[in-house]
Amino acid sequence: MEAIYKWSVELPKRIHKAKYFGNLEAEVIDKGLCSHCGTCAAICPVDGIIVEDKPIEFPNWKRDCVNCGACVRVCPRWDYKPLNGIGEYIEVLSAKSKRFKGQDGAMVTEIMASALEMGVIDRAVFVGRDENWKPVTAIVKDVEQLLEETIRGTKYSFADVMPRIKELIKDYKVGVVGTPCMMSGVRRLQKESEIFENIKLAIGLFCTENFYHWQLHEFLLKEKNVDMKDAVKTDIKKGKFIVKLRDGSKVSFPVKEFDPIIPSGCEVCQDFSAVESDVSVGSVGSKGGYSSLIVRQENAKEILDYIFEKGYAERGDMSIDAVQKLCDFKIKIHPYPPKH
Amino acid sequence: MEMLEVLVEMFEMFKSNMVNIPLIQPVIDALMNIPIVNYIVALVLWKPFFAIAILPGLGGIMIVLLLMVYWERKLTARIQWRVGPLEVFRPLRGLIQPLADGFRYFFQEVIVHVDSHRPYFVQLPILTFIPVLLPILFIPAGEIVAIRSSYAIQIIVALIALIPITIIAIGWASNSRFAYIGSVREAMMYFAYEVPFVIAVLAMILMYGSGDPYVIVEKQSVPGVIMNPIAFLVFFIATLMATSRLPFEIPEADQEIAFGPFVEYSGILFGIVMTLAYEKLYIMCLLMSILFFGGWNGISIPLLGDLSPAIWLFVKAVVVMLIVALARSIYPRFRLDQALKLGWTSMLLISLVSLALAIVIRLSGWLG
Amino acid sequence: MKVEKVEIDPISRIIGHINAISVGVKQAIKPERITVEYPRERRKLPDNFRGLILFEKDRCISCFRCAFICPANAIQMELYDNYYPSIDYSKCILCHFCVDSCPTTALKQTKIHDVAFRDLDEMVVHTDEMINPPKLVREDKITVEYKIDRELILERRKEVENLIVDVEPVERIGYHSACVNPQNCIGCALCARVCPANAISVKTEDEKRVLSIDVDKCTGCGLCVRECPTKTLSLVEVV
Repeated sequence: MEAIYKWSVELPKRIHKAKYFGNLEAEVIDKGLCSHCGTCAAICPVDGIIVEDKPIEFPNWKRDCVNCGACVRVCPRWDYKPLNGIGEYIEVLSAKSKRFKGQDGAMVTEIMASALEMGVIDRAVFVGRDENWKPVTAIVKDVEQLLEETIRGTKYSFADVMPRIKELIKDYKVGVVGTPCMMSGVRRLQKESEIFENIKLAIGLFCTENFYHWQLHEFLLKEKNVDMKDAVKTDIKKGKFIVKLRDGSKVSFPVKEFDPIIPSGCEVCQDFSAVESDVSVGSVGSKGGYSSLIVRQENAKEILDYIFEKGYAERGDMSIDAVQKLCDFKIKIHPYPPKH
Repeated sequence: MEMLEVLVEMFEMFKSNMVNIPLIQPVIDALMNIPIVNYIVALVLWKPFFAIAILPGLGGIMIVLLLMVYWERKLTARIQWRVGPLEVFRPLRGLIQPLADGFRYFFQEVIVHVDSHRPYFVQLPILTFIPVLLPILFIPAGEIVAIRSSYAIQIIVALIALIPITIIAIGWASNSRFAYIGSVREAMMYFAYEVPFVIAVLAMILMYGSGDPYVIVEKQSVPGVIMNPIAFLVFFIATLMATSRLPFEIPEADQEIAFGPFVEYSGILFGIVMTLAYEKLYIMCLLMSILFFGGWNGISIPLLGDLSPAIWLFVKAVVVMLIVALARSIYPRFRLDQALKLGWTSMLLISLVSLALAIVIRLSGWLG
Repeated sequence: MKVEKVEIDPISRIIGHINAISVGVKQAIKPERITVEYPRERRKLPDNFRGLILFEKDRCISCFRCAFICPANAIQMELYDNYYPSIDYSKCILCHFCVDSCPTTALKQTKIHDVAFRDLDEMVVHTDEMINPPKLVREDKITVEYKIDRELILERRKEVENLIVDVEPVERIGYHSACVNPQNCIGCALCARVCPANAISVKTEDEKRVLSIDVDKCTGCGLCVRECPTKTLSLVEVV
């Protein structure tokens, strides 16, 4: 490769007179647009941006930010143009994993496990949880780790998946699973710096909104008298939030009751089916115990061919109309610019 | 007045029996003229005093002690591919190591432990000096002798036989396990070597016809070792056994019973105890040279006069001692039952054979 | 199982005794000992003996490789006009990985190994103390060398060995840093910050951040390549 000794990078437009993180803070975080995806933290060269169970921040950014502008360039909410609809796809299907037990058909786990087996990826970033159902990211090297119970299943809270990509991206091929905002972030990372082409698999989840864990925990405890320590499964089905407890009982209530604690960044999001992922996975459109899959890119198709060839999963019936209905519903309830 | 008379009498006695050394005679003559010094000089040069205090007595013992400790350690080290003591006086490569050791003993604390029998513990090492030093009175070195007796050899052997008793008593006084075992072993060894030893000496006395050292030395135109080598072998091995030298270092085995009867001694008492062992060896080597190597026979140096036979005897004894040090580095240690067996089977047999040989030689009239 | 007593006939016994005594006497006269009377005699050490480490300041390019590779974490870089290594001998295991990894042989080995420090503070040797060899008190007058021919012989020579080794500077392949993946760059300019030779410069020209490498200043230390979060830079050989 020819070596060059002079190169340049486009600087984003600076709206305020501060360093670039100050701009990001003023235009995205303080305006309530931040989706808490953590893409900015994935690219920050000085590891200054913190993604935890509170709004995104960079303590001491006035001193430590090196003013590269990378966070601004990759943020999906900078110059926000919302994505919506079902998006482009190669195939839609419904499947259920024979190897794993998960939220519905455990297809996210199955696709990652097969990708690890095929060698498409070397490492996968999964989200596990502690006994309070607080998300804890885990880096998965081999299929055996996925058999652990706490790694599989949906956790309805923010997790710091994107910063974990940073420590893997220079040496390994990485697989990521996340919400639609994270998928948009992944695509922007790949456009910004080719090192992120090492993200070889991006699985998106159907998403209406996400929560801060402390708010969810407090809400369930105070309003519904449910301590998350006793929960074995959480689910959202047909507009109802269902918690299955250890003693076998179930607590269920309409999702609308969560409205007070929905983060402001989710209220402007219209992307239900993760249009920028390689494959989108969710429960809508399939019967119980099966996952719906919308396969969008060739790499995901190859993995699914491998899965069915090896007989790791069985097919089922999938109705795309149910998904379309929910996509339209999300556009309706989350207008941009917001009404109030 | 009477005191003065006694002194004058003593002075005359001293002057009549002085050692004759032509080399320093002019100095002696000069000193004899000075009033009080002449008493001291006459005393020092009086033959018995000279024998006890200078040669082959205490002076000889001093030299032997210093030399033997150094030589033994150096020789053993050399054979074992080591270097031995080196650092005490660098230009001389450690020559004054024994002096440094003795110096150390003077300043070390003497610990008399609670369990011991205190009077015996402290006094016995000094008491042991009696049977060890008394033989010096009887060993002549040329004309220099303390007590002239025709039964000298027998008296010396009898005195040597007393020594192990005191060693056993030392071990008993310490009231300690190792000391007890050491004492018992010493008793066993005593048992093992005494009979062959006495028979060998008896054989030599028989061969020469008298126990008088003068007669013995006179008769040794051919050294005794060539005439009766078997007795020499028995005597040599008995010496090794008697003085606890390897390969018969059984009562004092360092690695087995932590120095046996002497385990609880420290400081100056330990120094005395060490001295005893070497002195016993010295006495026996003197005896060996008189009986087997021709005593003080040798080329007489006219300048030294009476001193030259004494020096010959001394040199022969020292050479024998140095060769005994060689045995230390070559042989491993015998077991107690093996040593006992050796003493009562092989050695007894051989000593009886030497006795027969001595009788034959005597009867043949060769020695006249 | 019955253990039989070993019977040795007397003749072999006597021969055995004579053998033992002759060996003893022979060794007493001319011992084959191979003792080295240290410290008055010293054994000759090979030139690449791993002893104390000395430093040549003019050769150092502040690449930090010694500090990175030290398995005991004994090297800390101290700031003078640039960053130079200092060694903490309470941690150093004298493995000489740092000497091996130094691209310009600025760190070099010596044969000095039997040193004593008076306290723990003295054991941290700063850069200015590493340039000149420490003060030595030599007690040896003789150098000893083991020669193995058919048997082991100790050869003593009356010379005092020089403990400082002359190390020739290595013929280095010239490297410098270059941007081989411009599509990876995110413009953070950490490379410019970390360069010890100040060879990378950052400028802002009409809405673009322009970075350039001054090839004449670049020493090929590789710190910028390490620091870049997106694998933009790499070391290329000087043509």
